Amino acid sequence: MDYVPHSQIPGHKIKQTGAVSLKGIKKQFNFKDRELKVLSEFSLDVQPGEFVSIVGPSGCGKSTLLRLIAGLDDTYDGTIALDGQRVAGTSLERGLVFQDHRLFPWMTLEDNIALALTNRQISKDAKAKLVADHIALVGLKGFEKAFPHQLSGGMAQRAAIARSLVNEPKVLLLDEPFGALDALTRVHLQGELQRIWLAQGSTMIMITHDVEEALYLGDRVVVMQANPGRITHTVDVNLPHPRDRASPVLHKLKDEILAELTNVPEPSNPIVRLIKGDDQ
Amino acid sequence: MKPDLKLILSVGSPLLLLIVWQAVTAFKLFPPEVLVSPTAVIAAFGEVITTGELQRHLSESLTRLAGGFTTGASLGLLFGLALALSKTVERVFGPTFQALRQVPVLAFIPMLILLLGIDEVFKIVIIAKAAFFPVALAAYDSVKGVPKSYFEVSSLYRAPWWVLISKILIPATIPNILAGVRLSLTRSWLVLVAAELIVADSGLGQMMEMGRQMFRLDIVMVGVIVAGVIGFALDRLFQLLQAHALRWKTA
Repeated sequence: MDYVPHSQIPGHKIKQTGAVSLKGIKKQFNFKDRELKVLSEFSLDVQPGEFVSIVGPSGCGKSTLLRLIAGLDDTYDGTIALDGQRVAGTSLERGLVFQDHRLFPWMTLEDNIALALTNRQISKDAKAKLVADHIALVGLKGFEKAFPHQLSGGMAQRAAIARSLVNEPKVLLLDEPFGALDALTRVHLQGELQRIWLAQGSTMIMITHDVEEALYLGDRVVVMQANPGRITHTVDVNLPHPRDRASPVLHKLKDEILAELTNVPEPSNPIVRLIKGDDQ
Repeated sequence: MKPDLKLILSVGSPLLLLIVWQAVTAFKLFPPEVLVSPTAVIAAFGEVITTGELQRHLSESLTRLAGGFTTGASLGLLFGLALALSKTVERVFGPTFQALRQVPVLAFIPMLILLLGIDEVFKIVIIAKAAFFPVALAAYDSVKGVPKSYFEVSSLYRAPWWVLISKILIPATIPNILAGVRLSLTRSWLVLVAAELIVADSGLGQMMEMGRQMFRLDIVMVGVIVAGVIGFALDRLFQLLQAHALRWKTA
């Protein structure tokens, strides 16, 4: 594989843990006596500290996939392993950020984050320090006592990221984390996530609809198709972080992926023709 | 609207009612055996307070309310939670519960009198019954309505069950449960006064019934006013409690 994981790029914290291995994942839902295949033979290996983006149309099973890795759903065929250990149920080693922030409205920001630490056997002071550090990491210092409804959508999502990172998980799963935010906030938070990832070094697997976001953040972009959900294509993005959004490489790759997702060949675009092999 | 104007409007309507009432009695539109004047009612008020009659009946009523309401509301809470959390309980008791709660409380009075007589137990049971259903229903609905996402977040962080209950389930359901408890409190009061009117040897309702039998309509009116004021005060007190419990909503 000629892919260079960015954990090996200077400046990025090198992690030895957080390798996610998905082998032959099959998942189906039974819907009114009909079997609905959601995932079929999905296999993917993610390196420690790698940022993998998964893009695909609605209904391609990408959210289901994250729920399986997180351990919220245990009914599937195949194996999911973290650092060689098969996953079973939820674990503090695997964090998950949802599209909605899912903060509890009756708790302050710091209480919300501290809730994630209820199962950790560490001293109260150590917990308080972890909470404070992670509030600082996501840039929410000064809002510790704020309730979720007092925060903007972007701030609430930062808080959700802090909550999911407070246990220092080996892998952070992000399910369209910025999907519900306005365009400007989204761009801003993408930059923030990149900074957090570089500072923190967890493996990250992010689901998104936004191809530009997938490319801007990902070391690798996995393209999925629906019915049944499967990988059709993987794109390595060999650009150092932090990245320049205006990079022509990103734009080329974006056109390529979009063309595949929308499945409309664009004769005017030589790259698309090249990729799709229909340049006759 | 200015606060002054608001005050005038909200004090104005009961005041107007009082003026009309006084005018109607002053012009003797109804015989005094049927409609007594406000001044007569005020006099009667003074009378029942100085003899201590009002205090005695009222404290009897409120003690009954406390006993019946606490019993009914706590049982309702437990039953509603069990109904929501256990599929077996829901299967066994669900249909009976849904059918029984449609029967007006007062419809149980004849049967309960036969079963329990007209003693204290009867009154406690009838109030408990009135308090039971709104709380049970609210507890059931609010637990059923806890979003799946709350359980998922709790599961993701492997929160122990007592954290799930104390930090997530209770705060998530308390607004609706409190609303149910508030409804059951005011209902209990209504039912209590009604039950005392029918069968009792003491209490506010009984004071009114005795007044009616002795053509003391002024005392009946005192009872009506006190019943209204107490009901209003209970509701307001509970509203304050509710606001205190839910202060994160407005913080």
